[in-house]
Amino acid sequence: MIAHKLIDDSRESAAPAERAERAGQNEPTEPTEPTDRMESREPSDHIDWRMDSFFTPGPDSRLASLPDGVINLTASIPQLQRLATAIRLRAVRMVAPAGLGYLGQALSAAEQYATVYGAALRPGTDRIICSPAHYVIAAYAAAAETGLLDEACLAGYGRDGAALEAIGTERSPVPDYTCGSLGQGLSAAAGFALADRLLGRPEARTFAFLSDGELQEGQVWEAALFAGHQRLSSLTVLLDANNSQVDGPVDSITTIEPVAAKWQAFGWQATDLDGHDLAALTHALAACTGADRPQVLICRTSTRQGLTCLPPDADGHFIKLPAELAAAAEAELTAELARYAA
Amino acid sequence: MRHDLPVPYRTALKPYGRALVELARTRPEIVCLTGDLTRQCEIDVFQEAFPDRFIHCGMSEANMVGVAGALARSGFTPFLHTFGVFATRRPLDQIVNAVAYPHLPVRIVGFMPGISSPGGPSHQAIEDVALMRALPGMTVIDVADATQTRQVVTAIADIPGPVYLRLKRGEIPVIFPDDHPFSLEHAQVVMTGGDDAVVVAAGMMVAPALAAADMLIRSGVGASVVNVPVIKPLDTATVLRAAQAARVVVTAENHSVIGGLGSAVAEALAEAGLGRPLRRIGLADTFAEGAASAAYLFTKYGLTTQHIIETAWAALALPGPPPRAPDLATNAGEYAPV
Repeated sequence: MIAHKLIDDSRESAAPAERAERAGQNEPTEPTEPTDRMESREPSDHIDWRMDSFFTPGPDSRLASLPDGVINLTASIPQLQRLATAIRLRAVRMVAPAGLGYLGQALSAAEQYATVYGAALRPGTDRIICSPAHYVIAAYAAAAETGLLDEACLAGYGRDGAALEAIGTERSPVPDYTCGSLGQGLSAAAGFALADRLLGRPEARTFAFLSDGELQEGQVWEAALFAGHQRLSSLTVLLDANNSQVDGPVDSITTIEPVAAKWQAFGWQATDLDGHDLAALTHALAACTGADRPQVLICRTSTRQGLTCLPPDADGHFIKLPAELAAAAEAELTAELARYAA
Repeated sequence: MRHDLPVPYRTALKPYGRALVELARTRPEIVCLTGDLTRQCEIDVFQEAFPDRFIHCGMSEANMVGVAGALARSGFTPFLHTFGVFATRRPLDQIVNAVAYPHLPVRIVGFMPGISSPGGPSHQAIEDVALMRALPGMTVIDVADATQTRQVVTAIADIPGPVYLRLKRGEIPVIFPDDHPFSLEHAQVVMTGGDDAVVVAAGMMVAPALAAADMLIRSGVGASVVNVPVIKPLDTATVLRAAQAARVVVTAENHSVIGGLGSAVAEALAEAGLGRPLRRIGLADTFAEGAASAAYLFTKYGLTTQHIIETAWAALALPGPPPRAPDLATNAGEYAPV
């Protein structure tokens, strides 16, 4: 609190132009094209400590000094690689009967779901929010792989009368919250993190999966403001930046960059990374421990990741998977999975 | 039950805020959320009493509803406060998905109903009842006075699902005595004086309904008044019983005539096969413009005591000019319906 005060004083003397210049020094790294060839690199962490000067904790932020839940990652990189591949394979099998579906979401987010479900989540303690409900396919696959969901029910995914709907609903198992009306998950995540604070559960963490297209919804930024002001440090967002939305690439519809700088400006710790690089992902997630503010991992991904058999022009939002292609995908991922078993 | 209207009514300040504080003393699960309208929604008293359970959400109603939903899922009972327009019209999709569909015990409290605000259509909740009534599992309440405001806070504490509570802002009339019975299940016949016309009213229109019925009775016309604090689920039995006994039914609401109390009564009558001429008093499918005072708007758009009298008079096809509603002068701290 004393630090805030001191920095507050200095802010008053900084001219707007000077402040803008300072901000310029902290631009995020260039967004990177996600490719299979991409080398692992140290995730960059662009915390602008000067942001502190803009935050005056509200009267309801008095509990903000409670210690955070520590994120202990309980799986190795090869284990998580195997899990990510298994998520992709299960997603292919779930989508194959209909011949099309939300496969691209599982392909782009597989490493994120693998990392959280396979290494970080403590069922009963932590909460998971799957904000874009059509990503729930990845949550189902991850939960089935990690023993949280009876794998038998995956077979009915998306069919009439099935327990697992393709766009998650209130009766969907696995995530604590999901919503087919996009842009609402971060508010729920903030509410859960706030509830944990009010309940005195400092050990609990909230992991929220978001997607980049959702950033076009104003409510996301209302929630980001709220979580930043409240310093909800137990909240971690994994943002699947796959540059895919219904009408085409996100960057052809609305410019959302610079994404990291936006979150930082809202009082978040933002890390921009290759979302298919499990070393980078696990490192960044572990680095969320001890943060004094909410964190977002901006995971740059591709909706075709892990399946070379997909055509280059596959519609990432709703991939067509006719029987022949489904068989090729099954074979490719089964072979990949065998590599980890060996 | 008639001829003793204590008009003009004395008024109370912050009956809602004080009642919520009292309830929260024994209910640690109650948390209070505000959308930058703390004093206007009477919850400055809550902030003083329970600062640790008071959450500023700022002017971010969509987020506020989402946060409230998650707090409710975590075992809290959130009471969410802003003006009625910003509580319903603006975050409707969020209320549907984060509150109504999961059937969570979130209490959405919208102040400044209908044309009680001269602030123009942006500030006038004229379809909030219709919107909330259309949501599965939502309880919709529009109380008449400070006594019922106090009573309703306790009454809704344990409802398992969501509630929309519509409240007048500012000085709140005291129409009913402290021991006036209140129930979420039952509409109340609050005046009986014959069987020509029954006025079914809610919220701010209860006071003019009482004044109008009183004047009709004094003029030799049988009239009764049913107060409907809970618009959904509607106590159809009480409404139908009163309608059955009367020759005409007049509904009165500070809301559009589409989708609110008038519609609910019409549906009940039609489904029961009970044929009675029905007149709906409220905003006749219009926005309300051009005012510095609520009284002007109530008069301009026909939500006055006189309008209720004339409507009943015409529906009954009575001869001669209808009686004039008394023009009640009020002193500071007093309230009389327009």
